[in-house]
Amino acid sequence: MNDNNGYAVRTDKLTRRFGSFTAVDAIDLAVKPGEIFGFLGANGAGKTTAIRMLCGLLAPTEGEAWVDGLPISSKAEEVKRHIGYMSQKFSLYNDLHVIENLEFYGGVYGLDKAEIRSRSTELLARVGLEDKGRTMTVDLSLGYKQRLALGCSVIHRPNILFLDEPTSGVDPIARRQFWDLIYELADQGTTVFVTTHYMDEAEYCSRVSIMVAGHIEAMGAPEELKTKHDVPDMQQLFITLVNR
Amino acid sequence: MKAIFYLVQKEFRQIFRDHMMVRIIFLLPLLQLFIFGYAVNNDLKDVRISILDQDNSVESRHLADAFLNSSLFIPGPAAHSPADLDDLIYKGKTDITLWIPNDYSSSLSVGQEAQVGIAVDGKNSNLGGRAGGYAMAIIRQEGQRLRDARMLDNPLLRAKMKEIKTATRFFYNPELVSRTYMVPGIVVLVVTIISGLLTGMAVVRENEIGTLEQLMVTPITSLQLIAGKTIPFMILAFFELAFATVVAVLWFKIPIAGSLWLLTGSSLVYLVVTLGSGILASTVSRTQQQAMFTVWFFLVFGILMSGFFYPIENMPMAMQWLTYLNPLRYFLSIVRGLFLKGITLSDSLPDLIPMALLGIIIFGAAILRFRKTVA
Amino acid sequence: MKRILALARKEVLHILRDPRSLAVAIAMPLGMLLLFGYAIDMELRSLPVGVMDLDHSQTSRAIVRDMTAGGFIVDAGRIHSRDEVERGFRRKKFLAVLVFPEGMDRDLANGNSPTIQLMIDGSDAATAQTVENYLSAVIARKNIEILREDLGDIKPPLEARVRFLFNPELRSPDFVVPGLTAVIMIMICALLTSVAVAREKETGTMEQIMTTPIKPSHVLIGKVIPYMVIAVLDATLVLLIGRVVFHVQMAGSWWILAAYSLLYLFISLALGLLVSTLAKTQQVAMTVALVATMLPTLLLSGFLFPISGMPLVLQWFAHIIPATYYLEVIRGIMLTGRHWYPFELGIMIVMALFLMSVSMRKFRSRLD
Repeated sequence: MNDNNGYAVRTDKLTRRFGSFTAVDAIDLAVKPGEIFGFLGANGAGKTTAIRMLCGLLAPTEGEAWVDGLPISSKAEEVKRHIGYMSQKFSLYNDLHVIENLEFYGGVYGLDKAEIRSRSTELLARVGLEDKGRTMTVDLSLGYKQRLALGCSVIHRPNILFLDEPTSGVDPIARRQFWDLIYELADQGTTVFVTTHYMDEAEYCSRVSIMVAGHIEAMGAPEELKTKHDVPDMQQLFITLVNR
Repeated sequence: MKAIFYLVQKEFRQIFRDHMMVRIIFLLPLLQLFIFGYAVNNDLKDVRISILDQDNSVESRHLADAFLNSSLFIPGPAAHSPADLDDLIYKGKTDITLWIPNDYSSSLSVGQEAQVGIAVDGKNSNLGGRAGGYAMAIIRQEGQRLRDARMLDNPLLRAKMKEIKTATRFFYNPELVSRTYMVPGIVVLVVTIISGLLTGMAVVRENEIGTLEQLMVTPITSLQLIAGKTIPFMILAFFELAFATVVAVLWFKIPIAGSLWLLTGSSLVYLVVTLGSGILASTVSRTQQQAMFTVWFFLVFGILMSGFFYPIENMPMAMQWLTYLNPLRYFLSIVRGLFLKGITLSDSLPDLIPMALLGIIIFGAAILRFRKTVA
Repeated sequence: MKRILALARKEVLHILRDPRSLAVAIAMPLGMLLLFGYAIDMELRSLPVGVMDLDHSQTSRAIVRDMTAGGFIVDAGRIHSRDEVERGFRRKKFLAVLVFPEGMDRDLANGNSPTIQLMIDGSDAATAQTVENYLSAVIARKNIEILREDLGDIKPPLEARVRFLFNPELRSPDFVVPGLTAVIMIMICALLTSVAVAREKETGTMEQIMTTPIKPSHVLIGKVIPYMVIAVLDATLVLLIGRVVFHVQMAGSWWILAAYSLLYLFISLALGLLVSTLAKTQQVAMTVALVATMLPTLLLSGFLFPISGMPLVLQWFAHIIPATYYLEVIRGIMLTGRHWYPFELGIMIVMALFLMSVSMRKFRSRLD
């Protein structure tokens, strides 16, 4: 039980019930540092609930999870310093400038002034918005908003980044560019925990798990899973598992 | 601490970039002050009186003049018969009528009791009642004058002439202008509306666009978050209060008799109440629209039950008890007392203490509910 | 016609299935009527008056007794020094203080005329004035008694018979409740209809409806009919409660009142529709409807505060508010029994036609 130090994220029978409904049913996960872990599942399978527990937004009903070695049930606040989170809503302040959004989240994460300035400039360049710092966020295209939201969620250099359907509603080119950014982050040692509906994106992950009705039905590297279940692609694998 | 600074900075940026918001903050209070200040006015003024003098004697003209020369009455349309008089009121052409019958002077001269008739439009029970009271006072004075004259004429009676006189002094508002009483109340309303409404909407807006969730995965605590939400609106509301007070003093010429420090201090306590209510409203609402309606509902309720328009003592007992739960009631009483009567700290304690208690309860509940909503 | 009915039926379903708007439609008018009806009571009673009795005589006690007899004034206790007077005013212990001078009774016996001081808290001007009138009247009556003791049954030279027409007992509800009807009806109607079009715009169903062969004006009519029914129900309910709970008198005919009220409801609904066609979102529509109806109607229509007491600019403004005219009519019918209001009727008809045609035009042009 205490061998979680080597893992970026590990769960042990993590469970969450809402009344009589069990949204997440005793799932076991282990994600290694630097991995891009794809967390797949149909709508309502319990992905978002699980991510919200890992981020300290929801308390588990039973079981435990360790994020960056910290137990989420007792150290939820501590966990928040180690993680970044970006949801499908791209929660940005539309009425702030691009750079002000970055600076604001820098301030909220407790960086000092000089650090905020250097990180903001650095991230602006990283996400390709260097000439748009003074643009009002509301005027950005969806693809840019998404990259800005990513920038905001990593301003404090988190060890683990949680992405909840980060690419929904974005065009294929923007998605491709977004995944390039994810690879860059992973190369620098950030663990990326991502949920998605796009099965081509699942192919980009180092490992994936597929969740159906609160349970994890399959877990492993995409190639490994395809061979095991004898399907040509992830799409087919997903349909097979969900319909089973 | 640093996180709070960034939250406050962000809030101010958002407020000042929203043109609608800027207008609400700067124009709404001005508009309210002027409309309320001039419209909420129950002064008796220019009451139309129609007089039918069928006696047409020196005495009857004296009585009629007593009415027409008073500052309250202005002449209304003429009437030719007693039935005409009632008809004028019925058609809304006059407010009050005086009928002096043709035996007026003859009754007076034989030492009999002279009778006159007064009819008042009672549709507006308040103004009608007061106009009637005023007319009675004029009749009383004229009666006294006639009695004095009668007694002075008679040496036997003159020796026995005596009466209790009265000398009236009105404190704080010697000219009895209702605006003096209403404007300080409006200052309170302006601050209440702005602070409650804006805070309520500011929290829900973050919930609606999802940034609240984003903030919850950062290391800031819910207390910091509440502080970051309340401080900007505290500053704004305080600014509004100062602004409204300046307008009250300079434009409406209503001096502040009491201490500015007490006004400042009690306002701070009151703002804790209104900001707390705003946050509380936001925790029970999912959309900005709901938050607005919740705040609106409590505002209407609070204003009606505060004694702003009519004294609380007029309400049914059960409602009077309810007003003790109304923070507006206490602050209204403090501010009016400060403006008009110059109340001191110890005078204000009966209002200040329950208001502070309500503040603690409401703000405490807001914090608890807020933590629950976001957690 | 069939199409209008289909629209109307859909609208009824919307209303029935959305508990919040149904609550707004039924509970809000009732709640407001009861709340306002009780809270806005202008009849003063139980006003505390303090007494500083330096005379301790029969006469001073008799005056205090007379003063408190009607229940209008309650005795707030004895005061012993001048300092206590202002402190009491500041702490709202009493609204006025009567000071009986030392030796008052003796002076009277000696044929002199002593002076009672009335000290009154003037902050609330209207109340202060009323208290002064009342106290002076009490003392004037006492003076007549004093003279009678000496001179036997003399008659006062001048007596006035005062009648308060239409509301002889000056009951506050008779004044407030008819006015409240006007305020509540316009608020509810405007609020309900303002959302009706804006909601369809938000959800995109309006576009859907407009692709069918129905005429834009029919869409509006289909929207108005169900709300008109609700509004009529509301109005009936409010008047019924006014009658049963607040015992408001009815001097005129219910049918004639109903006719004027229908016209007024139509104006209110048209106002809501206009707001609705102009606003882009439900939220804006509701806010505008509330702000545009509630405050002006409460404050500027003569509901509580007489229009004649306002500055000219506000008086002009008061005359573009529909409630100003309806108030005149409903108070007239219920209290005086007068039925014919050509001026108000004319203006209300013009308002109805104007509002309806403008919102029709706006509605059409928006879709082009």
